[in-house]
Amino acid sequence: MLSVRGVTKKYGKLIANDDVSFEINSGEISVLLGPNGAGKSTIIKCIAGLLKFSGNIYICGNENKSILAKRDLGYIPEVPALYDMLTVGEHMEFIARAYSLDNWKEQAEQLLERFELGDKKKKLGSELSKGMQQKLSICCGLLPNPKLLLFDEPMVGLDPHAIKELKNLIVERKQEGNAILISTHMLDSISEFWDSTNIMMDGRIAARRTRKEIEGSQENLEALFFHITEGDKT
Amino acid sequence: MKAMSYLLITQLKNRILSIKKKPAMLILYGVILIVIVGSLISMLVFDQEMQMPSFADERIMYLILTGFGLLYLYIFTTSGLSTGSTLFSMADVGLLFVAPITSKKILAYGLISSMGKALLTAVFILYQVVNLRVQFGYGIKEIMALFIIYAILVLISQLLSIAIYIFSNGNPLRKNLVKTVLYTAIAAFVIVVLVIQQKEQLGVLEAAFKMVDSKWFEYIPVVGWMIMFFKGVVDGVLIYVLLSLTFFLVMGILIISLLTIGSADYYEDVLLSTEVTYQTLQAAKEGRRVQRSSNRKIKVRIEDDGMIKGSGAITLFYKHILEMKRSSKFIFIDGYTIVVAIGVGIAGYNLKSSEAAYAILVVIIYLQFFLTLFGRLKMELLKPYIYLIPEKSIKKVVAASMTSLLKPCVDAICIFTVLTVVGGADPMTSIFLALAYSAAGAVFVGITILYQRVLKGQPNRFVQVFLGMSLLIAVMAPAIIASAIAAYLLPDSLLFLCTLPFTIFCSLFAFLMFLACGNLIDKSEFTGKL
Repeated sequence: MLSVRGVTKKYGKLIANDDVSFEINSGEISVLLGPNGAGKSTIIKCIAGLLKFSGNIYICGNENKSILAKRDLGYIPEVPALYDMLTVGEHMEFIARAYSLDNWKEQAEQLLERFELGDKKKKLGSELSKGMQQKLSICCGLLPNPKLLLFDEPMVGLDPHAIKELKNLIVERKQEGNAILISTHMLDSISEFWDSTNIMMDGRIAARRTRKEIEGSQENLEALFFHITEGDKT
Repeated sequence: MKAMSYLLITQLKNRILSIKKKPAMLILYGVILIVIVGSLISMLVFDQEMQMPSFADERIMYLILTGFGLLYLYIFTTSGLSTGSTLFSMADVGLLFVAPITSKKILAYGLISSMGKALLTAVFILYQVVNLRVQFGYGIKEIMALFIIYAILVLISQLLSIAIYIFSNGNPLRKNLVKTVLYTAIAAFVIVVLVIQQKEQLGVLEAAFKMVDSKWFEYIPVVGWMIMFFKGVVDGVLIYVLLSLTFFLVMGILIISLLTIGSADYYEDVLLSTEVTYQTLQAAKEGRRVQRSSNRKIKVRIEDDGMIKGSGAITLFYKHILEMKRSSKFIFIDGYTIVVAIGVGIAGYNLKSSEAAYAILVVIIYLQFFLTLFGRLKMELLKPYIYLIPEKSIKKVVAASMTSLLKPCVDAICIFTVLTVVGGADPMTSIFLALAYSAAGAVFVGITILYQRVLKGQPNRFVQVFLGMSLLIAVMAPAIIASAIAAYLLPDSLLFLCTLPFTIFCSLFAFLMFLACGNLIDKSEFTGKL
């Protein structure tokens, strides 16, 4: 579903991603772990086609910047990016039309209801609290039913109800065969449902494990994370 | 006070040290310093030799001071009626307000840092050294006086804004009282000028000169004190200087007392204004325009339903139309259109010549350039959606630019209709001027795209601006030259066609720029910044 091959991203002299490669299959929830500044958000943005990079990224076999790839992609940014002058309902309509979706209204209603935005459809983007903006941003990302979902720190700013709903949604989408990539440094938030993980450090993939490997080897994900990110300090 | 002084000094130190890491800024500051010092030295050296035939009427300076003073007082008073001004940053709110430091000390810190910033912004006056010397014959003494006056005005205005906010916040009666006082004061100035005009049979400007030069005017709060201070410095009358400074001091102390006496808790009062200022600054950094006043509530109307139409990239255009409708009832006709149309009407009515119509075109094209700088496409590039929408880049670029292309056309119709009806311009000339204005708008949109496509990756801001301006000149120059040649060659009866080459060139260039940079979305990066 997602294939990242030898991606390097530089900002001037700073190497944000250094020869990063990994794959995610259908029905897999993969987690990008790493401390702040490890390059998680950068690789997510590269996959979303928002940044230039060297290397190759394929979504469902299509080059990630192609229109076909964009149709299969949903991106939920770390900082919600909404239009101040559009209401909650209009954001959904805009996304539906921009992605040329059919019969989207029912799903939009369901998403808004699940994230407790159903009664806020007439509220402008600028009138929403930070948490509500994040919820709407998630709804916008999910509405086109993408085959690949990219979440960049999705739980930040959400209330417990929204966190629960988001977790349920992620699991539902996985069961529907979608591939999901979540970038986070909150290990607890993904402990229940992750399938594979790539731990990033200094722009590189420092380790990768599957849930089966961890469970079979008595290795502890948290201990592994700290061992990689803090070395001998732990 | 240790923490406060540490904060002030460390911030100042770090600001200076940070320049080391920004060579372009270092060069800029160096150039500014050289210009200022060079101007001052040349003024000192050649002061004796320069024999100006005559200088401008000094009352012009008094009128400029009064205008500046009134403008600042108006802006800060109205901001006081909505969100208030602020002496603090968001970091101050988050770190200082919660710290175990008395609110008076924190206020003193706010005042000192604000005064420092006011002095820094006043540096622009020093740029005018040569100008002020040539026009008014001013030396260092007078220029320093203007420098001090500006800094005091900024500080007093900020304090006044906070005071008005505290006095009127949540109290409609008091808000109305402040508004009444404000508008009465403005009306009083106008009435006095008109009375002098009628009484002494003078022109309006001459009457205004007489008012600002009169003795009683020097005792009018703030604007009058500014003139008293300036006259005191210019004429070397120490008592005037001291008296005006005392007035300012007393006013400042009174406002600060209002902030600190009794149980007055200014934290809550400045919190909102600090947040609003922070959002405005953030928006400015990102190139967004923000609703500064919290008074204006955007209404979401039922008829707005279904305004987003289309499918695919064109949805961006309909979204822009909806956003514009929320900003202005008449969508394309906004405050800019009205102000420019009125200005053009007045200019056309007073000047009444065909040359004036072309001069007006030049001025409004110049204004239009700044309007286009932050066009809708540029705003769209600050959000990820345009990159994610599964459509061809060229379609998205065109759709996101469409309102920016249409706005100059609508503006042109309004503006040149006014010029024809009120200013009496020849209708044919107006039609071709309107076409030229619209075509210039298309070029500016094209330049924005070209700029984003070619220069966005250039890390140096100054190089960006320099190359951007060079691009603009390179594109506009052939169009202007072509029209100049046409004006020279055409007979008088066909002179109205002289802007046509400009229009054709601009349209062609705009088309080519769209064609060449249609892949902008595919080739540029989303950074969330401009």
